Amino acid sequence: MQTISLIGNPNCGKTTLFNSLTGTTAYVGNWPGVTVEKKEGAWNGFKVLDLPGIYSLSPYSPEEKLSRRYILDERPDLIIDVIDATNLERSLYLTTQLSELGRPVLIVLNMQDLLEKEGITIDQKRLSLMTGCPVVSISASKGIGLEVFKAEVEKALAENKAPACPLFSNYVEKYINELVAHDYLHTIPKGRLPRWAAIKLLEEDELFLTTMPPFPESFAAYLAKAQASLRAHYDDDVEAIIIDQRYKVAEHISRACQVKKEQKRSFNLDTIATSRFGAIPLFIAIMGGVFYLSIGLVGGITTGWLERIFGMLGENLTILLDALGVVPILSGILVGGIIAGVGSVLTFVPQLFVLFLLLSILEDCGYMARIAFILDRLMRTIGLSGKSIIPLVIGTGCTVPAIMSTRTIEHQKQRELTILVTPFIPCGAKMPIFALMITYFFPGQWYIAPLIYLIGIVAIIFTGFIVRAFDKHKEKNVFILELPRYQLPQMRNVWLQTRERTMGFVRKAGTVILLSSVVIYLLSSFSFALQPVDPDASMLAMLGRVIAPVFKPLGFGFWQATVALLTGIAAKESIVSTLSVTMGDAGITSLFNASSALAYMTFILLSSPCIASISAMAKELGSKGKLLFALVWQTGIAYLAALLVRVVVLLIL
Amino acid sequence: MAMTMDELTVGQKASVGTITAPKQLKRRLMDMGFTKGVDIEVVKMAPMGDPMEVTLRGYNLCLRKAEARAIELR
Repeated sequence: MQTISLIGNPNCGKTTLFNSLTGTTAYVGNWPGVTVEKKEGAWNGFKVLDLPGIYSLSPYSPEEKLSRRYILDERPDLIIDVIDATNLERSLYLTTQLSELGRPVLIVLNMQDLLEKEGITIDQKRLSLMTGCPVVSISASKGIGLEVFKAEVEKALAENKAPACPLFSNYVEKYINELVAHDYLHTIPKGRLPRWAAIKLLEEDELFLTTMPPFPESFAAYLAKAQASLRAHYDDDVEAIIIDQRYKVAEHISRACQVKKEQKRSFNLDTIATSRFGAIPLFIAIMGGVFYLSIGLVGGITTGWLERIFGMLGENLTILLDALGVVPILSGILVGGIIAGVGSVLTFVPQLFVLFLLLSILEDCGYMARIAFILDRLMRTIGLSGKSIIPLVIGTGCTVPAIMSTRTIEHQKQRELTILVTPFIPCGAKMPIFALMITYFFPGQWYIAPLIYLIGIVAIIFTGFIVRAFDKHKEKNVFILELPRYQLPQMRNVWLQTRERTMGFVRKAGTVILLSSVVIYLLSSFSFALQPVDPDASMLAMLGRVIAPVFKPLGFGFWQATVALLTGIAAKESIVSTLSVTMGDAGITSLFNASSALAYMTFILLSSPCIASISAMAKELGSKGKLLFALVWQTGIAYLAALLVRVVVLLIL
Repeated sequence: MAMTMDELTVGQKASVGTITAPKQLKRRLMDMGFTKGVDIEVVKMAPMGDPMEVTLRGYNLCLRKAEARAIELR
């Protein structure tokens, strides 16, 4: 099967094109060895691969390294260079790099529907002539031009012709040509063009140098001379000279092929969205609206409703199973374990779906980038960046997709710190236990729920300060972010992303939580002698009694609370059901009091997250040591914070 | 000493000169289009005064003043 690979700048509409080509065949995985998303699908009998959105093929960022290695080593049959037609010049910079890799390139001018509005016309024939690549004009979002696109893809595959490399100024060309003629260039790995290799040698591209045998003396001397002469002529380092030359090529082509009519600046949403006084109130209002719609409105309606349905399902199933004469242990596992456990998780699906839907819309229309811009300064004081805000916002729904979304943070240290603190934002699954405790111990006290969030935020700030204080290198992180044009959200992109995130949550209910519900049911129904017993004589109770003294200083050193925490590792939603199974409503009010209830909530808020989040953390951190540190840190902070909260409450009351 | 980009105020236009930054950041800034002679305009400062938003080569980019300090103007 022939492979075509989509590549292009971020925000060029590549994802929209990929989604509309591959539809339901798309599969999201991971590139081996790096946490970069790999998206694959099928279209018209071709394998379509979506490479990460990048601006360049530098040897520094994982996405760029990966894209380059992929094109050079896997040699896709066709590279589809997706270009935002309203941003021609910068897009062509990447094209100048792609056309040196020795693979056929098809240029796709996307967003042609916006050209007229922006007063731009592009001479497509001329562009094709100057770049040496076939050019096709489409609008992925409107579905315009896809037929022509298909024909061009087939034609390009049949011709199988790599474009001519872009030419630099004579002075640079002279050295490139001399290098290409040198004997040493015969040692370049197969599939690399000599010209590309010569440029990489001049640039001293670290990634390329490792693939080459050591220089013979004569060559080393020649190369050094060439570099010195270039440096002297242009008064810059060679890497910078080459970038400059590439942009000159891009400028030249763009000027020759594009006519831009001066547009009157139209009203821009950013007049408010990133304004000095309006930006932060608007952000708060939008987030408030998102939470109100999802958790408040939809959650309020569906949660109670689904709980009743699962309750009824359980009761009726018990009656049915009894009538059929099924052994009690089996019907117990089914009703008390699976339906109760999985059901409690599934009741969150509607509100999470709405939350993820709204957040996807904010991402797709370009607002998330503005949030990063307006809040960067604030986030930086605690060692994070504006880009960390996106995971924290998603974390209010579910920590798993939140941790996955840290991938947009390019700086590794900062990414790890964001992963470490994201679980401090209470996810949807922690809401029921807070609701329960507030109903019993703080009825009508409105400030408790915001206080919980505040404790989470304080934990984030504290962690940020500590990590920064111990960061010996004080690595300077950078924040460079394109603010894309606002666009109407693409319903297909929004839908696919929402589905992906919601399904991730549902899959967790079907696997980890299903299994742990059964295990917990069995542990709480049997003694170590494997006799059916009351919960307080069960294996779980015994285990709880061993650990419980640890929590004595926090005010909840009784086994039921401990056991509920243990089941919370499987899923935080289980805490409520475990408490009600093991102690009943009366037990909760007699064993807990205001101070221990608040301490308990604090501990649950901050201690290590559920097993699904832990596995997401493991995957993204990529090291057992870092994962262990994160879990110990989170649980340690949880313990200390809970202790502090209890002491403070005791002192006040 | 040449003026650097972080010293510009909203609405000011300038032309980029040399970039004085470590290899990796320099490459990053140049990849985004900050090459010698390119015209830039400061569009906006974030509500807390940093980062800044500039337009260059027909698109909008935001970056921190710390990074803007690496971009000399001419």
